[in-house]
Amino acid sequence: MTAARIVMNEIKGYHRFIKFLMVLVGGAALASAVRFIFGLGATTNLNDLYPWGLWISFDVVTAVPLAAGAFTIGIVAHVFHIKKLEPLVRPAIVTGFLGYSLVCVGLLLDLGQPQRGPYVLFNWNVHSPMFEVSMCVMAYTTVLFLEFLHPVSERFGWHIPLRLLRTLELPFAILAAMISTLHQSTLGTFFLIAVDKLHNLWYNPLLPLQFWLSAIFTGLSIVIFEASLVHKYMGQPDESDLLATLTKIIPWIMGVYMLVKVYALASLSHGPLFDRPVLTALFAVEVIVGLLIPFGMFLTKRIRTDKQMQLRAASFVIAGLVLNRFNVSMFAMHQPGQPAYFPNFIESVVTIGIIAAHILFFVLVAKYFPIFEHHPEATDYTIPDRFRKIEKHGHGVASEA
Amino acid sequence: MSSSTIDYGKTKTFLIDTTKCTGCRGCQVACKQWNQLKGEKTTFFTGEGYQNPPQMSEFTFTRVKFKDYEKHGQNEFAFYKEMCMHCNDPACASVCPVGAFHKTPEGPVIYNAKKCIGCRFCMVACPFGVPKYEWSKAFPLVKKCTGCYSRVKNGLHPACATACPTAITYGSRDEMLKEAEKRMAAKPDRYFKVVYGKEEAGGTSVLYLTQQPLDELGFRPVTKRPLPSYTWQALRFVPGIFLTVGGTLSLVTWFQHRKDRVRREEEERNSRKEGNQ
Ligand code: SF4
Ligand code: SF4
Ligand code: SF4
Repeated sequence: MTAARIVMNEIKGYHRFIKFLMVLVGGAALASAVRFIFGLGATTNLNDLYPWGLWISFDVVTAVPLAAGAFTIGIVAHVFHIKKLEPLVRPAIVTGFLGYSLVCVGLLLDLGQPQRGPYVLFNWNVHSPMFEVSMCVMAYTTVLFLEFLHPVSERFGWHIPLRLLRTLELPFAILAAMISTLHQSTLGTFFLIAVDKLHNLWYNPLLPLQFWLSAIFTGLSIVIFEASLVHKYMGQPDESDLLATLTKIIPWIMGVYMLVKVYALASLSHGPLFDRPVLTALFAVEVIVGLLIPFGMFLTKRIRTDKQMQLRAASFVIAGLVLNRFNVSMFAMHQPGQPAYFPNFIESVVTIGIIAAHILFFVLVAKYFPIFEHHPEATDYTIPDRFRKIEKHGHGVASEA
Repeated sequence: MSSSTIDYGKTKTFLIDTTKCTGCRGCQVACKQWNQLKGEKTTFFTGEGYQNPPQMSEFTFTRVKFKDYEKHGQNEFAFYKEMCMHCNDPACASVCPVGAFHKTPEGPVIYNAKKCIGCRFCMVACPFGVPKYEWSKAFPLVKKCTGCYSRVKNGLHPACATACPTAITYGSRDEMLKEAEKRMAAKPDRYFKVVYGKEEAGGTSVLYLTQQPLDELGFRPVTKRPLPSYTWQALRFVPGIFLTVGGTLSLVTWFQHRKDRVRREEEERNSRKEGNQ
């Protein structure tokens, strides 16, 4: 009773926006209940022509690269050892962990037999890109969870796990990059099987490489996007100096991506490119808004200091990626002459709820756990009392020697 | 996968001669009966033409498509029995994360409903649009023509092939291909010069002979390469890439951290020197 009241009081104190997000998440929970009771056929606009709809296109194919901030910033900060970027790592990990958890939720919602999800662990089919992605997503969610335990242990003063996690920081950053490389690219491999279905503007054998490269520069853009918003709305310190480092890295990867894309379009596509005006327009928007404009912005000197411009460029990149993933997984899979697919109310409510859940949980985690105040040199990693003797003894010997 | 050890020439194959099909739809009915599939409530002209039901579905594994065309100023019909093609190297089997599909040595590509998690990748992958979903159920499974595996295993012919009075011949793939060539050679005016299914998707266990060009009848143009090879050309790099990324990053880490340590030691030495002075 009292515990419940404490929670209620706490919630009452929240900002109106947070309460609004809670309502959205609640709505999505209701909608998914309806989906499980009545089935996919009755509650979505999916059918035999469109077995994959909004949930696969957004909640899985788009959300996975949007959650790539964790591994990309992990590489930059830990592997390349650019220590000053450390403060950006934790928020990115929390975002990644939330992102991947919600991808799992989205996947479960979309499966016809969600209770059989774990079958993937026992019936291996290494020829299936879906097998590879599900294994990776499970593994990576676990890694992100462990990384996320870092601020949690700090918050509750669990010193031993903290030590352990601290030593694992680097191996985890590398492992994260290994797993992410696989599943980010394999999401592209998904669509290689659709040879005669996916339009030539997107279909080419280098699709996996393009998915991987675009996940990297979008992941870094997400870090910029998030840091800017958090500074604007959550009263966190201005990190634009740190972000300036990222704005130097991003255009390089974007450049490589564009070269790959041009090469693939020019010499690896196997059919007419500009035969469907709607797709041509979508492609043009994707390339101009998502690549050329932000690429130009990242190349200017001003972006190193101009917060507003950093945020804008990052937003363009993110919008471009979202459009790209929808193009590949939905729009360009549409066959001429077929009726079009539009997500219905329930599908949309669920997807909006998943986005809301992401923001909501992020704000709450930030409220209760030290994810921004993290400065490695200031953190107290001492071993608790009980172990101090042994530890001190060991130390003593070492320092005297 | 087991399919690589199969001798496709020996697999049981349908030869469907659409020029001999009368559109009686005996196969459609036989299939419903053998597989105990519910009838569908349909209205005429909901699909592209005269056919009914308008498309294959969880209740209809095969259906005869009607195509009207004009010949010498006369209205004519062509009929095309749509069904699973039982590909030699099936896309549905290669993409399924839990391996619910497989190509049997006898020929039919069958589906194990007990394994399926319901991701519907098989539906996205199949170049012929064959697997259908039980949209009517809360916990749906995939449905498609089984090639009447339970009959074939026991030496019988599939229900539709048995029921068909004129157009379906059933036998080993080699024989059916030979038969198709023979018919085309005997009546060159009667046939369009392509055996659909001979090379489509790397070869299938259903072969078609037609009079019209294939696209006019509504046959999908399908690549000649086995579809699984398209994804495998990327997936086969997975272990290598995994290890390369891990190795490279470890090296970079070691190098970067060493650089840092060396610099720190230098600074320390310098400051100690300054302290001594
Ligand atoms: S036609 Fe489609 S469902 Fe049938 S075996 Fe080939 S890929 Fe599988
Ligand atoms: S829907 Fe079932 S059979 Fe089809 S690919 Fe997914 S798990 Fe395999
Ligand atoms: S082979 Fe069997 S399941 Fe397939 S269409 Fe013929 S009767 Fe139906």
